[in-house]
Amino acid sequence: MATTELHRPGVAEKDRPRTKGKPLSVGRIALYLTLSVVSLLMVAPFVWMVLTSLKTPVEIASQDAGLLPEHWEFGNYVDALKAAPFATYARNSFIIAFSHTLINVVVASMAGYSLARIKFRGSEVIFYLFIAALMIPTYTKVLPEFLIVRFMPLAGGNDIFGQGGSGWLDSWWALIIPGAVTPFAVFLFRQFYLDLPVELEEAARLDGLGEFRIYARIMTPQVKPALTTVALLTFESSWNNFLWPLLVTRTDSLRVIQVGLSVFKTENGPQWHFLMAGTTLATLPMVILFLIGQRYFVQGFATAGLK
Amino acid sequence: MKKRTGRAPTGPGRRRQRAGMLMVAPALLHASLWIGLPVVASVVLAFTKYDVLTAPQFVGLDNFRDMLDDAVFRKSIVNTVVYTFFTVPFGMMLGLLVALALHTGLKARGIFRTAVFIPQVTATVAIALVWLWIYNPGNGLLNTLLSFLGIQGPAWLSSTSWAMPSVILVGIWQGIGMKMLIYLAALQSLPKELYEAASVDGASKVRQFFSITLPLLKPATFFVLITSMISAFQSFDQIYILTDGGPGNSTTMMTFEIYKSAFREFRIGYASAQSLVLFVLLMGFTLVNRRIMGGTRGHN
Repeated sequence: MATTELHRPGVAEKDRPRTKGKPLSVGRIALYLTLSVVSLLMVAPFVWMVLTSLKTPVEIASQDAGLLPEHWEFGNYVDALKAAPFATYARNSFIIAFSHTLINVVVASMAGYSLARIKFRGSEVIFYLFIAALMIPTYTKVLPEFLIVRFMPLAGGNDIFGQGGSGWLDSWWALIIPGAVTPFAVFLFRQFYLDLPVELEEAARLDGLGEFRIYARIMTPQVKPALTTVALLTFESSWNNFLWPLLVTRTDSLRVIQVGLSVFKTENGPQWHFLMAGTTLATLPMVILFLIGQRYFVQGFATAGLK
Repeated sequence: MKKRTGRAPTGPGRRRQRAGMLMVAPALLHASLWIGLPVVASVVLAFTKYDVLTAPQFVGLDNFRDMLDDAVFRKSIVNTVVYTFFTVPFGMMLGLLVALALHTGLKARGIFRTAVFIPQVTATVAIALVWLWIYNPGNGLLNTLLSFLGIQGPAWLSSTSWAMPSVILVGIWQGIGMKMLIYLAALQSLPKELYEAASVDGASKVRQFFSITLPLLKPATFFVLITSMISAFQSFDQIYILTDGGPGNSTTMMTFEIYKSAFREFRIGYASAQSLVLFVLLMGFTLVNRRIMGGTRGHN
C-alpha cells in the first residue's frame, strides 16, 4: 500500500543514474577504506595478543620494542602449558561445554516440540513461564543458585537437610547441572517446530508411530538449523562462562580455562608472554568454531533477536 | 475435560497430551529448580541477614536502609548508569553505521562482518586480559602507538579519571558486532519497493535513511536497546579483570558490588537486596523504553 502511495508520476526524471555494480566509484572506495579501518580496529587487539605471545619477556619489558617480535618465540606456548595447567583447564572447559550442548539440545528440543505442537492443560502457562524465565537477569538468581548448590542434600557430605558438608561445590555437578538447560533454547526450538507442516506428523501418526518417535524421527530432523544454532550458541556461552565456575570451584583440577587465565594473571604477576599465549589458546577454539559454523552463528544470533 | 482435549489440533487427545507433558517435564523441572526457586529465594533473602554459616534472620527493610547509607553502592549505581549511557548508544550508532555499510552489497562484506563480529564470540575474560595488556602504561599497544606520535599516555586503568573511559571503550568495542548483526538482519528484511519508490520520487539517500530506514528499524532498535542495556547493566567479567572496581571505586558497578557483598563479605541477605534493586531498575528501564518507543509509533 505504501508503494502505491509513493508512486507519484512526474518525478521519475530526477532519478540520478545509479552507480550500482561499478566497483571503482569514489563512494565505494571510501566505503571499503572505512570498513577496512573499522575491521582493523576490531581485529588489532587479537593480533596484538598473538604477537605478544610470541615475544620474549625481555623484549616485552623493553620500552622501545617494535610491534613485531624480534625472534618469534613459539616456545612460549610450550612453556605456558608447563607454567599453568592450561591443558587441564581447556579439558575441563571442553567437558562442560560439550555436556551443556548435549543436554540443552536434547532437553530443550523436547520441551520446544511439546510447547509448539501439543496442546495440553497448562501448556500455555508453561510457555509464558519460560518467556518470563528468559527475562530474569543472571544476578537475580546467581546467589540462591550458589546456595542450592552449597546445600544440595546428600551430596558432598551433606545430610538430608543439606547441612554438614559442601554439597555440590567443587564438583562436576555444580559446573554442569545448573546451567545445562536454557529457556532461550526452549524458546528457539519452539519457534522452529511451529513452522513445520501438520501433514508430516499426521502421516507419521497414521503409520502408527508413537508421539516420542514422531518427535525424534520425523520432526526433529526437519529442524537441523535449530539444532546447529542451539548447539553452537550453547557451546560458545559455556566455554566463555566465567562467574559461575569462579563461584563454585576452588581446586585447580576443576578450574575452567577462563577462571584459570584470571588466576594466572594475579598469582604469577603479569607474565605477559605466558598470559597472552594462554589467552590465545583459550580464544582460538571459539574463533575456529565461529569460522566453521559462521552461517549458523550469524543466523542464530540474528533470529534469536528478531523472532 | 472432553472439550479441552478437542483443543489439540490433531490426533487422539489423551496419550498425546501425556507425551507432551513428559517431554516438557525435564526442562520445566530444571527451570523450576534453577530459575524459579532462586528468584523466589532472592526476594525472601533480601529481607534477611544471612552469612551462610548461621540461619537467615528476618530483618525487614534493614538491608534497603543500609543501602541508602552505602556510598560505594550509590557510586556503583552511578557508574553502572554512566557505563550503560556511554556504551549502549555509541555502540548502537556504530553498529548501525557498520550494518548500513555492509548492507550496500560489497563483495568482501563477509570478511568485514567476521572481523567486526569476532569479539562477540570471544570470552570477555580473554578480551579483558588482552585490553589489560593494551592499556599497560609502560609498553602496552596504546601507549606504544601514542609514543610514535610523541604523546606520553596516562596509566589508563590506574588513573581515577581514565579508568572508566577505558572500560567504556572496551565495552563499546566488544558490543558493536552484536548490534551490527541485528541491524543487518533487520535491514535485509526491509521492503525494497519502498526505496525504489522513494528514489523515483527523488528522495536523497540521506532523506531515505531518515524517512524510511530509521522508522522501519524501530523494532530492531528497541530490541538492540533493551538487550544491550540488560547486558551493560550486568557487566562483571571485564571489571573483575581490568580494574577490580578500582581505582578508588571509580569503576565499581552494581554487579561487582553484589559479588563483593556476597562472596567477599558474606552478606548474602544484603547482596540479595542489592540484586533486587538491580532487577527493579532493569525492569523500570525496560518499561520506560517501551513507553518511549511505543509512544512515538506512527508519527513518521
